[in-house]
Amino acid sequence: MNYTGSIIKADYLQRTRSYAFLITLAISLCIAYTFVPAPGATYTTVRVGNFVGVYNAAWIGYVTAIMTSVFLSLIGFYLVNNSIRKDIDTEVGMIIATTPITNFKYLLSKVLSNFLVLLSICTIVFAMSIALFFLRGKGFSFEITPFILPYTFVVLPALFFISSLAVVAEVFFGRWPVIQYILFFILFNMIMAEVTTSNDAGMTLFDPFGVKAVTTGMEEFVRSHLHKHLQVTSMGFNFVAKQDIKTFVFEGIQWQPAFIASRFAWICFSLLLIFISSKFFHRFDVKERISIKKKKLTTTISSGLITGDIQLAALPAITPAYGIMPFIKTELLMLFRKGSKWFWLVNIGGMIALIFAPLLIAHQIILPVLWFLQVSRWSDLATKEKTNRVHYFTYAAYKPVSRLLVSQIIAGIILAVALAFPVLVRYAAGGNLLPVAEIIIGAVLIVVFAVFLGILSGGNKLFEILFFLLTYCVVNHIPFLDYFGGMHNGLHYTGFMLMIIFFLVMMSFALRKYEIRHL
Amino acid sequence: MVLSIQHLSKRYRKEKFGLKDYSLTIENGILGLLGPNGAGKSTLMKIIATISQPTEGIVTLDGHNIVREPDYIRKVLGYLPQDFGVYANLNAYEFLAYIAAMKGVGGSGLHKRIEMLLEGVNLVEAARLPIGTYSGGMKQRIGIAQALLNDPKVLIFDEPTVGLDPEERVRFRNLIAGMAGDCIIFLSSHIVSDIETIADEVAIMKSGTLIAKGTQAAIIKQLDGRLFETVIENTLTDAFKTNYQVIDSMRQKDKTRVRYISDAPAAGSVACTASLEDAYLFLTYNNR
Repeated sequence: MNYTGSIIKADYLQRTRSYAFLITLAISLCIAYTFVPAPGATYTTVRVGNFVGVYNAAWIGYVTAIMTSVFLSLIGFYLVNNSIRKDIDTEVGMIIATTPITNFKYLLSKVLSNFLVLLSICTIVFAMSIALFFLRGKGFSFEITPFILPYTFVVLPALFFISSLAVVAEVFFGRWPVIQYILFFILFNMIMAEVTTSNDAGMTLFDPFGVKAVTTGMEEFVRSHLHKHLQVTSMGFNFVAKQDIKTFVFEGIQWQPAFIASRFAWICFSLLLIFISSKFFHRFDVKERISIKKKKLTTTISSGLITGDIQLAALPAITPAYGIMPFIKTELLMLFRKGSKWFWLVNIGGMIALIFAPLLIAHQIILPVLWFLQVSRWSDLATKEKTNRVHYFTYAAYKPVSRLLVSQIIAGIILAVALAFPVLVRYAAGGNLLPVAEIIIGAVLIVVFAVFLGILSGGNKLFEILFFLLTYCVVNHIPFLDYFGGMHNGLHYTGFMLMIIFFLVMMSFALRKYEIRHL
Repeated sequence: MVLSIQHLSKRYRKEKFGLKDYSLTIENGILGLLGPNGAGKSTLMKIIATISQPTEGIVTLDGHNIVREPDYIRKVLGYLPQDFGVYANLNAYEFLAYIAAMKGVGGSGLHKRIEMLLEGVNLVEAARLPIGTYSGGMKQRIGIAQALLNDPKVLIFDEPTVGLDPEERVRFRNLIAGMAGDCIIFLSSHIVSDIETIADEVAIMKSGTLIAKGTQAAIIKQLDGRLFETVIENTLTDAFKTNYQVIDSMRQKDKTRVRYISDAPAAGSVACTASLEDAYLFLTYNNR
């Protein structure tokens, strides 16, 4: 177990010693802060009918635990689903493949390392939940048990399940990250739909995130103490009129042995998934799978030699050309070729849906989802030089910021606008030009957001997580994250978006300018 | 063209220098950079290539301070980094056109220029295939082609022969030797023979400092009358090494042939002609 422990440790340290992880921690803290709304806040998080608990230890402990379980499960998958990919990219995997470690042990070490990464975030959020008690829970005595128990029974098994699921997804869909994203998105929504709508008590056992048991417990508490048959109607960020909201004193739930057993069962199920995946794991023999063509090529042409008769004077004279069109063309080419070409069928399907779906649905739901499907194209827009180690050329190029970075942004925007074209035409045809402007501004915003986060964090993961979260929120009609005018109309809002774009562009240019001279 | 480096330092931490008070001047020709790992060769070349800034000192090209005006050298720079990558989805034509755009090279002759360079590095046959399918040596050749795209006047080659087979190495050396007439060429390599055969001058570096610079003959001269060879019993090699500065040894059954530097040679030793490698080992050893 010693060397497995070393792999876990190295993997964990490698992933947590990054700006991206620190930024994720900071964002998690900010989000956790919103789990318990301030008295004057215009939203609620967990609500039983029109009842919310007073801010005692039990309410804050249980609410933050289930919010953490949902939130961390949602973003956690995207955060950790590249652990095997990293070993392929760094070629450490080829070394690992030659060691005696079994596939199961290797995958298990990845699961545990994923789990540790998520646990680190969970610990920060846990600390924030206690801080929130002292901030908001005035007049109530502090108890630690209502914090520890829900985090232990609800959050930890959920994080273990997500850690395993991320590894399983990598084993089976490692080459197609977008498919992993989509499948998880669908699975997550299916589970959450079942959890929030089902009246079946048995669902508490089949909910991997463990929130159903708590919400059912809350409903029972309200039923037995307030004699009202109410359901947990909200578990997220709900912007409702708060005048109808009443409070009650929540004292926690009875933990059923069957539920606790089910949480162990989920851990065992996760291990079973890993065991099954280990039978299909490629053990880093990925080159042959990726390209048979490559093998042919290297054996037939690699024997060629430099002829040594390049006469620089004989080459056609060079003509100075400092325009950016060749860059835009190549950047678009790379955006187009990124990922599987079959995926373009999905894009075309999305664009057809934008033509025929009701305009509001096309704008509010289909467009953000279609844009999200381009996540891996945009996430490495400004980071691919470094990940492909081409930055030595690009950073030493003539005016790299004002030419190359601008081209990358323009190419990204062209893709976003091209995908949104059907809905733009429909609005324009109806003479409704404000949504046209808002969608174009949204396209610019999401691209510069990708560029900014890429340069800031040095990787593509942070943007991918936040873009997913953003998409999830806008699809669920959370208004303050509406970046493309789906829920807002008005020049005031458009002006606000333009200010954000201006800030992101300025920061991106400043960061890249610094980065270029400090390799 | 004259490239002048004056009192250049790159400090990472308080007492951790990548380069320390480094000065040299070079005109057209090939300057071979030799030094052990961590000597600061790549740091120096990154600063000249404008992708790293010095903590102190300046670098001028024909009087222009390229630390302040990086675009002045970028127009005439050809740079082949040690550990570069490529965009796997682009083919050789597309990749070189992309790099040409970066260097500000265009016009109707560009395609022909790329074609001739690809012919020169023998990649025409594979030019339409994604670079991701190339072998290490083929990628290295793409790297060489890109460095020559813009008719460079300053060429920086950082370990350029890595990945090339012995015959390719010889041809590469011939290629850059032919360009030395009207270019400033920095050539860094661990393989002393690569530098020995073509460099007009050699700069030997250690721990971020320049410990020797001059023509090969001048550097080798430092070993005149001090390099010897002898054959000793295998059992005596450890003791011999403690008494003399052994720079090479070759095991031959029960005996070992040792090449060493000394002002007072051991009995039975034969004086021998020094090479650049001997001088390099001597200088880097003595500057520990």
